Amino acid sequence: MIEQMKEAAHVLENQFVRKWREDGGKVVGYSCTFMPEEIIHAAGLLPFRLRGIGTTTLSIGDAYFGPVICSFPKCMLQLAGQGIYNFLDGAIITNGCDSMRRLEECWRKASEDYPGTLPGYYEFFSVPHKAVDYSIAFYEEELRDIIGTLETHFRVTVTDEALRKSIRLYNEGRTLLQKLDSLRFSEKVPLTGGDAMAILIAGHALPREQFNSMLTRIIGDLERAPSQSEKKKRLMLIGSASDDIDFIRVIEDAGAIIVADTVCFGSRIHSYQVDGEGEPVHALSSHYLNHSICPRMLGYYKSRLAHIMETARKAKIDGVILQNVRFCDLHGSENGVLERDIESAGIPCMRLEREYGPLVETGRIRMRIDAFMERIS
Amino acid sequence: MKRETREYNYDWMIWSIFNAGAKALDGTQKEYESLMNVIPSFRTLLHTVLRHGKPGVLFLKMLLEYLDELMSAKREGKKLCLGTFVTAKHIFYAFDNVVPIWAEPMTVFGTLALRKATAEYMDYCCEVGFTETSCSAQRGSLGAYLAGLADMPDFMICGAPGICDTNANAIQFMSSYLDIPLFQLNFPAKLTEGRVMDYHRKDLRAMISFIEEHAGTRINEGKLRDLLEEQRRQDELASELYDFMRLTPCPVPPIFQLFHYGGRLTMPGRKSYTALLKSMLEVARKNAAAGVAGTASGKERARLLMCYIDHYTTDGRFWEWLDTREISLLPTLIFNFWHEGANYAAGKASETYHIDTSNMDTMLDSLADLNSRMPMVKQLRGPYDAPHMWLDDLLGMSKLMKPDFLVYIGSMGCRNSWGINKLLQRDCEREGLPTMLLFADAFDDRVASWESIMDKLNEFMRVRRISA
Repeated sequence: MIEQMKEAAHVLENQFVRKWREDGGKVVGYSCTFMPEEIIHAAGLLPFRLRGIGTTTLSIGDAYFGPVICSFPKCMLQLAGQGIYNFLDGAIITNGCDSMRRLEECWRKASEDYPGTLPGYYEFFSVPHKAVDYSIAFYEEELRDIIGTLETHFRVTVTDEALRKSIRLYNEGRTLLQKLDSLRFSEKVPLTGGDAMAILIAGHALPREQFNSMLTRIIGDLERAPSQSEKKKRLMLIGSASDDIDFIRVIEDAGAIIVADTVCFGSRIHSYQVDGEGEPVHALSSHYLNHSICPRMLGYYKSRLAHIMETARKAKIDGVILQNVRFCDLHGSENGVLERDIESAGIPCMRLEREYGPLVETGRIRMRIDAFMERIS
Repeated sequence: MKRETREYNYDWMIWSIFNAGAKALDGTQKEYESLMNVIPSFRTLLHTVLRHGKPGVLFLKMLLEYLDELMSAKREGKKLCLGTFVTAKHIFYAFDNVVPIWAEPMTVFGTLALRKATAEYMDYCCEVGFTETSCSAQRGSLGAYLAGLADMPDFMICGAPGICDTNANAIQFMSSYLDIPLFQLNFPAKLTEGRVMDYHRKDLRAMISFIEEHAGTRINEGKLRDLLEEQRRQDELASELYDFMRLTPCPVPPIFQLFHYGGRLTMPGRKSYTALLKSMLEVARKNAAAGVAGTASGKERARLLMCYIDHYTTDGRFWEWLDTREISLLPTLIFNFWHEGANYAAGKASETYHIDTSNMDTMLDSLADLNSRMPMVKQLRGPYDAPHMWLDDLLGMSKLMKPDFLVYIGSMGCRNSWGINKLLQRDCEREGLPTMLLFADAFDDRVASWESIMDKLNEFMRVRRISA
């Protein structure tokens, strides 16, 4: 079962997406966790988190983006320009960060030169950077606009009942992922960080019904599985978007096991449940703005630090890897303050700046990891 | 950071330099020449500014007024608030006991006046954990604050969320690192919708409550009214200045762009800025009457429009280079935003702000509208080719000002503009506007030296047969 999850983590148009499309289903990509999957799901569409995995060149990405831009959206653009994302029927680009928000224009303009590479449904979605009553109300209105565009383009109706059903389904998924976290935090960790990350990534690439069903069985199996953490240093991974299992493998090959994380494709977003009782769009708005631990939410450092320290305590970690993709100043800078504060709490930290995508820097990263492992051993 | 750099506070050094500079022409010519001998690293800039006569003097005196208030704030028991240039300053000047520090102007003072610019302060940011890829516009001055080499702010305003991550993030970093209370103003991607305007107004009122809480005083209604009324006068004067810039040859000296937006960013609504604008107009009027350009020679070989910001290299060599090459500098793009009724807002009424001083509520609404149209805040909040945004403004300004070429320069931290400036360049070229992207940093000569930038500009002009 985990192998299927791994396939979904390694391949964009995975077998589940192919089957969905063969059955006549439509797929809508989204660029960031601030786009509630529940809304796409309630429209009867498959939400699919955009990624840049499998990129082997940046010839297209570099042609449109400038040089001092994060390689994550560049890789996405590269894949889009190559037609790899042609399986998408729609895409929603959010202003998760400045590099990502400009993917909207770059993809749109690149499609003039690479015809047929822009999905028929294509929207920019602006998300506030703060969680107060009026920003939540604003976000709610924006979400209602997005729902309207989905309804018009795909000729569907998103009812409150459908939204509540989706919220329940995704809440079930969150409960399961919290169970997975508990297993990762336990004394005898039954799965590697790489496998855990594959599951977490697959959650953004599979129909949620199937994901929940598979995860239920995986958790059952893991509860009986032998420990993978014997004689390994327990690490926590923090920072920029990271969906490259090979990056995790390089860390774990050095004698470590990733038992916790707060990365964007990882355990960042399932710690809290969406209110299933209230008005659904308002509940989603409140949830997604109030419970984010992304540094794009400016001015909430202390609550993010508290979340990290609590997770570190539960997971009984030996050290923290604070990584960021180059030009990701939001994570890169926050990592600087986190390093100071986490170290002062007695937990060793290592800051690592890297490129997203193919492990072109494997040697350097391995050397840094080895040095860190020596320090904490 | 070197030990000698830690000898003096950054803000005091800047104040000290501008204090001397602003008074340089108060004495005799002989005293002025003697002064030049004792300020070797500032004299080139001083000469560049003061050779423009009264506007140059008023510019320095206006900056000194700002710096005087900054340096005396703690002594007078006032609160210091650190924010970014994209916030409307009237809000802060309307408090009796709040003095604002603007990160970017504070950086530019250093890049213009210090021999090694702000390099060590920038690097200090990285020493304490800030990324080296962050924007140099904030890092230059923030390094001094992070090192404790300045009067420390009591609270901070993060004015760029939704507009510029690296700008907002710099303020967030300093707030987290030094544990200083922070308020963020947040901007949605659209500008003119009712929902967005409502959001801005609520956000601004929340910010004022935050300032009132930390300042321990209420915003002064009378002061705010005076500031906004003065802003209205300044808008009229600026509009007239723009009228002159449309002429060929352009009678406005290149460095007047710096004077214009320098005042708008530091002392809007203040009398000293009004006086500066009036003196600039006098020069422009005189040149126009004589039919000469604002360059030193009175000739105009080409017209340049900077499509983002200018270059703030040491000694102000950017403007001096333009002057010696007889290139007129047209309004630097992001500093264009208008009061309703301005000539330049014709057909763009929804993009303008409206000043209504009837009562506190209307004034706060006016402030919210103004604040949401500040540099970058207006142009970079949404897709670059959406209505009211970067491309729209650039093509509109180009149509009015008729530049011979456009040049982009920003900072290495500017994700939001580097993400799309190739697209912008392509669109401008398709409109027949030769457009150059400079891979350089407007605040950090170490990325690309001014000499190499000059080479590139010269070569571009040669190849594209501009001013041939």
